[in-house]
Amino acid sequence: MGTGGSGLLMSQDIATIRVTRYRPEKDGKPYFQDYKVPYRKDMVVLDALNYIKANLDGTLTYRWSCRMGVCGSCGANVDGVPKLTCASFLHEFKGRTIKVEPLTHFPVIKDLVVNMDDFMHKLVEIKPWILREKESPPEEGEYRQSAEELERYDQFSSCINCMLCYSACPVYGLNEKFLGPAATALAYRYIEDSRDQGKAVRFPIVHELEGVWECTLVGECSVVCPKGVDPMLAIQKTKILGATNALKSLVMPRGGK
Amino acid sequence: MSKQKPFPEYRRKLGPGWWLSNSHFTQYMIREWTSFFVAVFSLIYIYELSLFASGAKDSALALMRNPGIIAFNIVALLFTVYHALTWFYLIGKVIPIKMGKTTSKPWQALLVNIVLLLIISYAVIQILVLR
Repeated sequence: MGTGGSGLLMSQDIATIRVTRYRPEKDGKPYFQDYKVPYRKDMVVLDALNYIKANLDGTLTYRWSCRMGVCGSCGANVDGVPKLTCASFLHEFKGRTIKVEPLTHFPVIKDLVVNMDDFMHKLVEIKPWILREKESPPEEGEYRQSAEELERYDQFSSCINCMLCYSACPVYGLNEKFLGPAATALAYRYIEDSRDQGKAVRFPIVHELEGVWECTLVGECSVVCPKGVDPMLAIQKTKILGATNALKSLVMPRGGK
Repeated sequence: MSKQKPFPEYRRKLGPGWWLSNSHFTQYMIREWTSFFVAVFSLIYIYELSLFASGAKDSALALMRNPGIIAFNIVALLFTVYHALTWFYLIGKVIPIKMGKTTSKPWQALLVNIVLLLIISYAVIQILVLR
């Protein structure tokens, strides 16, 4: 560390960060504010926001926590695309002004902070935990599961609730009641879990008019997901399950049960 | 916690041009539009059939030879092909098939469906038209 503090930032580039500002106590609507941020090759958009808050403008408000793609709180629209700001490198935008806006479709509380109550309600609604008809006591041991059974839902359990998929979904933008990508993917994760017995509880929720049938297969949710979850696939699989069930109850005696 | 929010939140609405902001959205919207061309084509086709059925063969043929109708049919065909190809691709995304350790890719579904379409079309033409 012989070069000292300034050496760390030697031969640096300057990025222009154009951030949405909204101060609810005085602004009628949001506006953009530009900041010049010196950066190194390993800096991400979140680092730039932290630099702005520490050195240029302490009033800038945004959410963040882990800065390593795990907590899901730093999501924003970076150059119009929903991204985790902790996973968007500044050098990828070299020379261009980087636009950082709050996630689309959600009401803005302040600057980059959005109100996520709607998503949180939906998350609880699908009961994201294992439902059993009757809990067996711990003495009887765990609910066993094979590697194949795990694989059926594994990818859908990687969701970090960052809401990027909602921000990418025009269907959610047009109809706020739509259950949406992440909540459906999580519902499907439990529907496909061999230990779960809550199909009868979750099916009516995901098969409501504003459940999976609202989805028109835009597919952008799966494109933007930072954790490799494929909510579009979960929604279509849920549609297939629902249609098969409906057909069974129509043609088979006692609803195929 | 009180229910009252101290300051107003800013709510945004999707404008009519939302599908132009992202090329994926534009491709999606074009696929949605294809249904309009298929619907109009079907109406014209049903009308032509009804002319044939009522014995007005000449006016039916005149309508089919109308350059405007031909131009529309070409445009409708392009949209239908776009519709078919994008849906064939989506089939592979929605129903990936597990083959041992690997899973099928969307482009493979696209390819298989094109081949199936050609075989079935050939069979239909052989059986119904050229028999």
